Amino acid sequence: MAIKKLDEVEFGVDLPTFIPDTSLAITTEFAKLIGWNAPRFTDHEAAKKEGLAGAMAPGVLSQGYLVAMIHNWAPVAEVLAVDTIFRAPVIADEAHTITGVVTDIDEENAKVEIDLTVANEKGETRVFGTATVK
Amino acid sequence: MILDLHTHSIKSDDGRAKVENYCQWIRSKEMPIDGFVLTEHRQHDFESDYSSLAAKHGLVILKGSEVETEYGHVLVFGVTESLTQAFDFSSINLSLESVIETCEAHGAVAVPCHPGRPRVGMFAHTEELGVPNGVKIVEIFNGGSRDNEDQIAIDNAENLGYQGIGGSDSHIVSHIGRCGTAFTNDINEMADLVSALQAGEFKAINFKH
Repeated sequence: MAIKKLDEVEFGVDLPTFIPDTSLAITTEFAKLIGWNAPRFTDHEAAKKEGLAGAMAPGVLSQGYLVAMIHNWAPVAEVLAVDTIFRAPVIADEAHTITGVVTDIDEENAKVEIDLTVANEKGETRVFGTATVK
Repeated sequence: MILDLHTHSIKSDDGRAKVENYCQWIRSKEMPIDGFVLTEHRQHDFESDYSSLAAKHGLVILKGSEVETEYGHVLVFGVTESLTQAFDFSSINLSLESVIETCEAHGAVAVPCHPGRPRVGMFAHTEELGVPNGVKIVEIFNGGSRDNEDQIAIDNAENLGYQGIGGSDSHIVSHIGRCGTAFTNDINEMADLVSALQAGEFKAINFKH
């Protein structure tokens, strides 16, 4: 459920879970749009030849999904920063889930920090990070 | 009591968690751990004093380190000023056997972490480099493990007669407490932890779902 004001937010509150579209069609289209037209983003077999488990979603696509998730939850929020650590590739055509939870509240500056985790179906963390929103 | 023996704060280059938020999280989520050890990458944080935070939240907060060897990453418990002068904590290519030997000489304990992980885990290197001397304990449950990394750690530890600890390897607040280590006796300071590890009085716990 979307919130109207950030000052309603409490420590430990979960953001609604976000299911990103990581289909090969989407990762391919996105990679082409941003000029990252490398086979590792568009072709499972070519990616496997590079040692990957399959074609991977571009990192900036994952970051875009993280921001989308935050805006779905708080349409009024200004996203000041998204800081990501890429631990493992987000493999195209595999199901992923993005979770977020409020882990710091700066009342003085009206800022909220959110932990973000992109996990696969096995619950393994592929990408994690934090976002600062106002 | 249960401690998470492997956590990172904003003191680590890839850590994003403030220690106070770890405490808030543990208490607000009623997590079944009694404290944690900060094991910052390639350094030891002598400066920070978390005693007031620990008292405020009723948690044990200790400080160790995570160093890097040719066999991968290694947790060090019981770090002293003299130990940090005995080898270069900031190096990314220490000798594991030398780290273990030096730690023992300084009353510290070295524990290879996430040993089942490619590249940065000990068992990824034993085929090429051989089984290193001196290892007694490895981390068998790591909160960041993927695929069968924990199982590789468990199987190899069993085969080689190592004991196992657990740690979340958390870098953000909400990842703390995914794994832990249970101790028979109370651990209130680093000397207690080192003694318990040396005595083998502990058991790894996996809280991952």
